[in-house]
Parts: sequence; structure tokens; C-alpha cells
Amino acid sequence: MSIIKATDITKTYNATAVPVHALNGINLEIEKGEFTAIVGPSGCGKTTLLNILGGLDHPTTGEVTLAGTNITTMQDGKLIDFRLKNIGFVFQAYNLIPVLTTQENVEFIMLLQKRPKQERDARALELLTQMGIADKAGQRPSQLSGGQQQRVAVARALASKPQFILADEPTANLDSHSTSSLLDIMAKMNKEEGATFVFSTHDQRVIDKARRMITLEDGQIISDEKR
Amino acid sequence: MLLKLSWKNIWRSKLRSLVVIGSIAMGIWAMIFGNAFMNGFIVSYMANTINHDISHIQVHHPDFKRDQEIKFSVSDGNQKAVQIRSWQGVKGAATRTLVTGMVSSPRKASGVQIRGIDIENEAVVTRLDSLIGEGDYFEGISRNPVVIGSKLAENLQVSVKSKVVLTFNDVNGTLTQISCRIAGIIKSSNLSLGESYVFMRQDDLARQLGIEGEIHEIAVLLESQVDPETIVSRFQSEYPGDLVETWQEIAPQLAYLQDIYGNMLYVLMGIILTALVFGIINTMLMAVLERMKELGMLMAVGMTKIRVFLMIMIETIYLGIVGAPVGLLFGWATVSYLNSKGVDLTAYSEGLEAFGYDSILYPYVADEVYLIVTIGVFITAFVGAIYPALKAIRLKPVEALHKI
Repeated sequence: MSIIKATDITKTYNATAVPVHALNGINLEIEKGEFTAIVGPSGCGKTTLLNILGGLDHPTTGEVTLAGTNITTMQDGKLIDFRLKNIGFVFQAYNLIPVLTTQENVEFIMLLQKRPKQERDARALELLTQMGIADKAGQRPSQLSGGQQQRVAVARALASKPQFILADEPTANLDSHSTSSLLDIMAKMNKEEGATFVFSTHDQRVIDKARRMITLEDGQIISDEKR
Repeated sequence: MLLKLSWKNIWRSKLRSLVVIGSIAMGIWAMIFGNAFMNGFIVSYMANTINHDISHIQVHHPDFKRDQEIKFSVSDGNQKAVQIRSWQGVKGAATRTLVTGMVSSPRKASGVQIRGIDIENEAVVTRLDSLIGEGDYFEGISRNPVVIGSKLAENLQVSVKSKVVLTFNDVNGTLTQISCRIAGIIKSSNLSLGESYVFMRQDDLARQLGIEGEIHEIAVLLESQVDPETIVSRFQSEYPGDLVETWQEIAPQLAYLQDIYGNMLYVLMGIILTALVFGIINTMLMAVLERMKELGMLMAVGMTKIRVFLMIMIETIYLGIVGAPVGLLFGWATVSYLNSKGVDLTAYSEGLEAFGYDSILYPYVADEVYLIVTIGVFITAFVGAIYPALKAIRLKPVEALHKI
């Protein structure tokens, strides 16, 4: 059963006199527990598709169903709540909160979910240990390397055990060692936690690790390959 | 969570936050000091007028004030004054015999009010004896000693022991002249004391007027914490036939002045807080704009708009919470110091005394001003935070996340 379903998605930007068609009739289904990469050249619509799948942006036409819930017509307030409960995000630029420690960053979404402190602490330390950065729990993001920061971002995304993790170019700012290490961790989390991972990337190392690769070009899916 | 995050957020840019905190502290200090300075003037002016001239309460015959005719004396005035002196809350009560007349020296003449006073009780009520700058308080002259103000002495070109002649109508309307000598000259910034009165012993004046034993005015000085209205009510219930007035009724201009100065606090607050609100808006707007990406992330991962709004509001309130005590403390310390030492304005004494102000100013702030100023600052912080907070929640996560 598909946990993510996108039907006839189009997205047109009208910021300039000439409309830009970022997505043209995307139909897509992703099963629970998949480790999927959305690939394609710059400007092909990867990030736009990921934003729409994550409820951060609205499609011009079409609809997105996540875990059986149509999020396309959902009101902003409900959509924020839906994202909080169901989706983990990993951003290209990490986007950690600089004034919080590593552990506080990991706990942040659980805090928004009003989980008890004991549960938050235990889960955050568990994830930081799995990520190999438990010793950095009390440090601020500025004291960590790029790879370590992205691990914190992944830990934050996983902390509340969301159904899906959407990662937009998660390795774009990382060196090869950090990328490899991060991918191993995400693959392990995918396997152990059963979280569904969807990446947008044009990093070959991520593509190699993915078990499914969806290729976009000019806003359309030109291939969908399962391995 | 929001409280902790907001607190940490305000220290992201220490310098910027310290500038706003400094502005808040400086604004509060300026409001307190400005108010204290203005209060110093008004308190000094009012205290001067009440304590040395009009007193808190005056009692007259109901018709006396209309024409100031000497036949309208307070019935049993001296006995009433004795009674009043024994009342709780009354510091003193002095009786006066009044007549309008003219004082003349060999060189000049001037219209004055001649005040026949009970010199002992007058010293209690108006501390007239303490104001004598030259000569003595009705001493050193055996026959018809008078005390006049320094301005009047200057106008008449007379000095201590000089002879002056008082001219007035007695109770029968007969023009009467008496020759007096100046026993003392009053040095006071109070304009009336300086040039409008001639003080002489009550018996001397009453004898000349032909109304021995009668008085026209009882001036009552109260303990500072006593409300004049309570004494007025008591007097009216015990002696219903007399006209009893509080200082606000006797000198309504003083009450207006008090109101005006009271409102000046709000004018001052309005000016300072308006400047402050723009400073806060500017700072918080910068704080929002420079972390749009982070705010976008917060909303993307599930932070509701109301929480984002509250976070910005709390950050601003925190700036006020840090800045306000600093400003209050400095304001209090400055006012306390200057209140004990006094601000020496003798360089401007001529101009100040022309308006009845003392040249040494004692700034003073009422306790409630600290509260009013604090509330004003927090309202300002609250108002100043609204626009940046609205700006933050209007961000669309998908757009904010891609801001550089």
C-alpha cells in the first residue's frame, strides 16, 4: 500500500510575465519503508516536488495524499499540525537552531509535540548515540562540522518517529566521508526505524545507495527505477 | 519551551540587544528624571506657597472674600482657632486681621495687604520668623514694628529700622495713618511675601481698625498625611456659618499647576515611548529578517504561527524585563541623590525667583510614577513587537527556507 500518493501534480509559477511550469503532471506512489531518491538536473523540479509532497507548498493542480490523508486542501493550521506529527524534514543547509545545543535541537520537535522530558531525553540520546555524536550533545551547532550538523538534522527529523523523512539535497554541503557516513546512518535508520525516506539529490553517492530512483526532467518523471 | 528559546534568541546579537536594553533603560531614566525635575519645581512652588503663605485651609466670614470689608470678621475667631489647634492632624492655626491699604516711604508708595498677625502662631503656621533675611522678627522696635518683603523694601527704598506709613480705612471708613518702623525684611521666592504684604502685630492693627479682638482669617496648617477635606468637613459640622476653603479653592491656579505638571509626565512618556517604539520595531524587525530561514524551518517542522508570534513577542518583552529594572534603578538612584543634595540653580535664581521658584531644586518622584513608567515601557515593548511578529508569521515556509 502506498503511503505517499501524488496524482496529476502540476506547479506553475507566475512570478514573471512568462509562466514557469515547474511540474507537469506528476503521478507518483511511494510505499512505506522505501528509500527513494528523486534525481535530475538543476531546475528539473526536484525541490518543488519535495516541497509539495511535504505540504510546504501547494500544487497548482492535482492532489497529494499522505498516509491516506489528502493534504492538498488542508488548511494551514491543520497542515502544520500534520507535518509536526507525520513528516521529518532534512534540509540542505541543516537549518539547526543556533542558540540550542545539539540535544535541544534533536528534542525540539518532541517539545513541540509536548512529549514528556524523560522520553525526549532518552530518545535524543539514543539517536545521537546512533549517529555517533553523543559526545556533542551539549555543544552548539556552530561547534560542529557540516557532517555532524547534518547528522543532528537527521536525528531531529527522526526524533518524533515520523512516517516519512523528506530530505532536500542532504549531502550537498558535505565532503565525501561525511556523505558516506550520513548515508549509512540514514540507511540504517530506514531499516531499523522503518521510516520512509525520500531524497531530492543529484549526488551520485546518494543515488547509488537508494533502492528506488525517480528521475525528473522538465517537471516530468522520465524514469522510475526500483533496485 | 518558548520562554527558554526566546531568552536565548535575544542574546544572539548581544550588541544589538544591549543597545535596545540601553535605550529602554535610558528612556525610563529620562522619564523618571524628567518627572522628578518637574515635580521638584512644582513641589517647591506649592510647598512654598502653602507653607509660607496660604496654608492648607483658610476660614473667613462668608462675605469677607467678596469685598474684603473689615466688618466681616470671623465670629469668635480666636476661640475657634484655639479649638482647631487641638484637633488631630492640625499642626497649627494662626489668626489674622486683614485690611487693604497703602504703605509709603519718604520716596515711594505701594498698595499692599496689611496683615495683623498673632506672631507666635504665625511662626508655627507660616514659619514667617524663619524667612527673615535682615533684621528681626518683630523685635528691636518697640512701637508698631512691621515686617515686609525684600522686593517691597527694594521698591520703597527702605531698610531695617526705616520708617514707613500705613494708610487704610478703619471700621467706620475713616482714613487712618499709622507710622511704623521696619523690624525685619523677609527673604523669600514667594511673590506675595516678597512684595504684597506688610505684617504687623495683630493687636496694633486691630486697635487702629477699631475691631479689637476680631479676626478675618484663620489659616490652618495640617500634618502632611492629612486630607484637608476631612478637617474642612469637621469644621463645617462644628461651625456651619463660616466659609472654609482648602488650598485648592483658595489658589485654584496651584491646583491647575499641579494637574498640568501631572499631565506633563504623560506628555514626556508619550515623546520618549514613541521614540522607543520605533527603536524596538527596528530592532525586532532586523531580528526577524535575519533569521527568516530559521523561522521558515520552524514553521516547516510544525511550529504553529501563534507560537512563532508569541516567541517574537516574548523576546521583546524580555528586552523590557532586562532594561526596565536597570532604568528604574538608575532613575531612583539619581533622584534619591539629587533629592538629598538638591540641584543648585542659583545661576538662574533671578529668573526663577521672578516666577516664585526656589533656586535650589529638590527633584522628587511619587512612588506610583515608577509603576506607571514600567507599565508604559511594557506596553511600548508589546506594541513594538506586534509588527515584527506579524511579519514573522506571514512568512511562507517554502519561501523563507530558500532565503539566503
